[in-house]
Amino acid sequence: MPPDAASDAAPDAAPDAIPEVAPAPAAHLIQGDRVTLPVEIRDAAVASAMFPIPAAAAQAVIAYSGLEVARPLAGRAICSLAFVRYADGDLGPYHEFAVAFLVKGTPRIGAFIHWLPVNQAFTLEAGRAIWGFPKEMADIHMDLAARTKRCLVRVDGRTAIEMHVRPGFPVPSGRGVPSVDAYTSMNGVTRRTPWTVSPSGVRMRLGGGTYLRLGDHPVAHELRALGLDHARALSAATVDRLRMTFQEAVEARP
Amino acid sequence: MTAVRTALVTGAASGLGALAARRLAAAGWDVAAADLDADGLAATARRSPNTHVRVCDVADAEAVNALVSEVGAVHRVVHAAAVGPMVPALEQPLPDVEHVLRTDFLGTVHVVRATLPGMLERGRGELVLFSSLAALLPVPKTSAYAAAKAAVNAYAEAVAAEHAGSGVVIRCVCPRQVDTPGFRAAASADPAATGRMRGVPPGLVLDAVDRSLAARPAHDLYVLPDPLTRAVARARRWLPGPTARLVGRVTLSR
Repeated sequence: MPPDAASDAAPDAAPDAIPEVAPAPAAHLIQGDRVTLPVEIRDAAVASAMFPIPAAAAQAVIAYSGLEVARPLAGRAICSLAFVRYADGDLGPYHEFAVAFLVKGTPRIGAFIHWLPVNQAFTLEAGRAIWGFPKEMADIHMDLAARTKRCLVRVDGRTAIEMHVRPGFPVPSGRGVPSVDAYTSMNGVTRRTPWTVSPSGVRMRLGGGTYLRLGDHPVAHELRALGLDHARALSAATVDRLRMTFQEAVEARP
Repeated sequence: MTAVRTALVTGAASGLGALAARRLAAAGWDVAAADLDADGLAATARRSPNTHVRVCDVADAEAVNALVSEVGAVHRVVHAAAVGPMVPALEQPLPDVEHVLRTDFLGTVHVVRATLPGMLERGRGELVLFSSLAALLPVPKTSAYAAAKAAVNAYAEAVAAEHAGSGVVIRCVCPRQVDTPGFRAAASADPAATGRMRGVPPGLVLDAVDRSLAARPAHDLYVLPDPLTRAVARARRWLPGPTARLVGRVTLSR
C-alpha cells in the first residue's frame, strides 16, 4: 500500500498488525479551536497505584469493549487508578482521575480506560470527541505538594473516589520512552490510541502505601464489587513531571 | 460543584507566575492572570476557559486598582511580577534603578493596597508575595533588585504584624535562583554572576508555598522553599561575614 493511501484506507481494510506509523496529522475542532495531533502534554504530575483483582469479574466489567483483560499474576487481572494534574499541555490545565484495566491484544502495554473524570470543559469535549475517552465532569481536589499525594473525586456533590499515595523510593528515569496503547470504548466503538509517556522524578513502592475509599457512583460500585474498597495496592508510583503524547485513535477490532 | 474561588496572579506570562496560574486553573480556580507581556499571557491562558488575562503594569498603582476592581473578590493573590537585571551598582543607570524599585517594591505595595482591604473585610484571604533569597543575602550585580526585595520583606513583615489574627494569611517567599526563562537568560549571559548554579524548579517553589498555606500557622510569614535556600539563610543569620564572603566569591565574575 502506498504510504499516502494508508491514512485514507477504511479501518476494515487495515491489516491486523498494529501500524508503527500514526495516521497523517489530523485536526479536530474543539470549542472553536483547532486541536492538532499528536496532542502533547509538557508538564503533568501523577500519583497512581495498581491493584490485583479477580479476572473473571474484571472481564465482566469491560465486556462492553470486546477486549480481554490481561492476567499477569496467577490468573488475576490488574486495575490501575491514577490522578493527574495537567499544568501545561495542549488540552489546557485540568485535573483528572483515571480508572483503567490492563488488557491483552497489543505487543505494547495495553490499558483500557474505563472511566476518566475531569474538571474542565475543554479537555472533556476534546477527550470524548478525538479519542472516545470516557470523560465526565467532576469536582477533583488534589494535594500534590505534600509527601502523601491525595485526591478526592466528587460527582454531583457526592464522593465517588478518594485515594492517597504515600511516597516511595526514587527510581532513576529510564532513557527509553515506554509506549502504551490506550483503549477506549464509546458508543459501541472500541478504539486504540498510541500513547507515549516520558516521566521524571519517579518514586515507587511495592505493596501498600495507598489508601482507597470508594463512594457513591456507578463506577465506584463496580470497583467495590471487584473488592477494591480499602484494598491493598500491588504497587504505587508518583511522578513529579510527566511528558506525554497522544496520537490519533484507530478503530480496534479485538 | 463547590464555590469557585478567584485568584489573582501577577507575572503570569512566564516562569513562576505562569506555572502558578496554570496550577490554580487546573484546580478549578477562576484565575485573573496579569502581566505586561500579552503574548505570554495568551500562552498561559490557552485552552483554559477559567483563566482571564489582563495586561497590567504593577508599577502603575491606578492600573492595579482598576484590575482588582474589575476582578472582584480575590481569595488568593500570587504576586510574582518582578524584574531583576544583573548590573554592577555603579554601572546601572539611575532610571533603571528606579524602574526596578518601582516594579519590585512599589509593585508589591500597589498589589497589597489593592487587594488586602477586601480580604480584611471578608476576614479571609491568602496573599503570597514573591521576594528572593537576595533580600536576605545580596550578591554582586543585584544591588537594586536585592534592595527592592529587602524592602518587600520589611514591608511584608510590617503589614503582617499590623494584621495578625485578621484571618488573612500573608506569605513572603524567598527562593534562591529559580529555573525560569528570566533566570536562564541571566545565567547564559553571565554564568559567573549566577554562581553557575542550576535554578530550583519552579514547581518545587510552588509546592513549598502550597504546603505552607495548608499546614503552617498564619503568622509564619517566610517561605524558604528548598534545602539550599534554607541553609544559606541560616548561615547568613549565624555566620554573616563568612557567608557573605563565600557567596561573593561564588558569584563574582573574575
